[in-house]
Amino acid sequence: MNRKVSNFYYYLKEVSTLFKKDLSTNILSLFSLSFIFFILSLVISVGISSQHIIDEIRSQAQISIYYNNEIDPTSIEAKISEIDGVNLVNLISSSQARERMKDVLGTDTRILDLFDYNPFSPYIEVFISLENLDVIVDQVGSIFGVELVRDNQEVLKQLENILNIVTVFGVFIFIAVSIATVVVTAHIIRQGIYLNKDGIGTLRLLGAPTYFIYAPFILTGIILSVLAGIISFIMSYFATDFIYSRLLGSLPFVVLPKFSGLIILLLLFNLLMGISLGFIGSLIGIKSTRTQK
Amino acid sequence: MIIAQDLSLQYKDGTFGLKNVNITLPKGKLIFITGPSGSGKTSFVKLILGMEKLTSGNLSVLNYDMKNITERELVLLRQDIGPIFQDFKLLDGRSVCDNVLVGMRFLKIEKEDMYEKALKALEKVGLSHKVHSMVENLSYGERQRIAIARAVARDPKIIIADEPTGNLDKNNSLIVLDLLRSFQNEDTTIIITTHATHLIKDVKDSLHIDVEEGNLQYKEAKYE
Repeated sequence: MNRKVSNFYYYLKEVSTLFKKDLSTNILSLFSLSFIFFILSLVISVGISSQHIIDEIRSQAQISIYYNNEIDPTSIEAKISEIDGVNLVNLISSSQARERMKDVLGTDTRILDLFDYNPFSPYIEVFISLENLDVIVDQVGSIFGVELVRDNQEVLKQLENILNIVTVFGVFIFIAVSIATVVVTAHIIRQGIYLNKDGIGTLRLLGAPTYFIYAPFILTGIILSVLAGIISFIMSYFATDFIYSRLLGSLPFVVLPKFSGLIILLLLFNLLMGISLGFIGSLIGIKSTRTQK
Repeated sequence: MIIAQDLSLQYKDGTFGLKNVNITLPKGKLIFITGPSGSGKTSFVKLILGMEKLTSGNLSVLNYDMKNITERELVLLRQDIGPIFQDFKLLDGRSVCDNVLVGMRFLKIEKEDMYEKALKALEKVGLSHKVHSMVENLSYGERQRIAIARAVARDPKIIIADEPTGNLDKNNSLIVLDLLRSFQNEDTTIIITTHATHLIKDVKDSLHIDVEEGNLQYKEAKYE
């Protein structure tokens, strides 16, 4: 155990020596990897946020029913309550509707003061089981006095389309980033092995096993890509913070995922990507030099 | 220890490095292999270290059959040999101590013992005051002594020094030869190749092998 710890310290010293041996190339590679990871982090953030918004809208599973003001809404309310899949029915007065919009608008609520009258109509708010949406909408629409049934299916569909595009785009970016990271890391390791071929030859002649000779190179690849992951995470943190403050300031009704949760996810993602792609890249780099030999 | 039977080494261009060698190198002896440049001394060393593959015949080193040796066995064999190369093959950018330690890190030696052995070897070669110096800042002679310390620190069964006096004057050559002799014991064979026969003619308790046109023969026939 003692020897293993001592050897790990030796490997780290070797990593430092290897890094310094080709310092400028390694620094440039580090920043290239960081920006590659950053792009992927942004795509991941957009994907997670879109999915979160869709889930939020789905979880609300609510329809709004506008009716003829000359008809008593309680009779409509009673009929709606009898429909299968309806969980809760609320009558919302025009003043309540106005108050709700005030909450949505947040700091821009003064826009409502420009009106001399209350522009909002009373409506019936119905919470339903989402799987019965189509049937409920049909049945509610046929009730006498109901003028408009508004559900959020259109919004959901549009968001899902966006999410699909982001997912496809994200998969391509993920593949591209993975390949780019592996190629960059493999190239760095191959170059490191080439620059240290005399030392490697010496170790072989001294009877060093393969794992001992190549451990510093694998560690170099992993450390380099983990560092890139950390730099990418720091950039992602500030970018996400900026986007959140802008979005929540101007569009307060947008239900974004919790900032801390997203950040922790990005941190884990960047670290895992760094470790796994760094390891794979290093192995490929080593393998390619051994094959060439 | 080392047994060669009809051993030949032929290079790709058709020339022979060694031809029909039959010789036995016993355990625990100081053995000089002499001969002019290009006679086959280094070829023999390369075969012992597994740096070249023999073309025909047989070669046994520490009971490993070099004709059919596997990669794993070669690693184990090399761990029992302390090589001292003509160009030293030190690792630049590392300290003197790191260069000696690197030959032991993958052996089954505990950390404390490893450091103790390294410091002892450096003391023996007179470099205990330069433990933390970087090797590239040292003189030729000092670099050679680090290579010797690296070879002996791990208590090998065979120490092989290829032309250790090659670039040294007479005085320094004798110092290096004396130093190498000091590591000989009943368990450790020391093989030294040199073309400077005048330096070794008076060395006592040693065996001398002549290499001529790829053939090795004892000057005295007792080990034939």
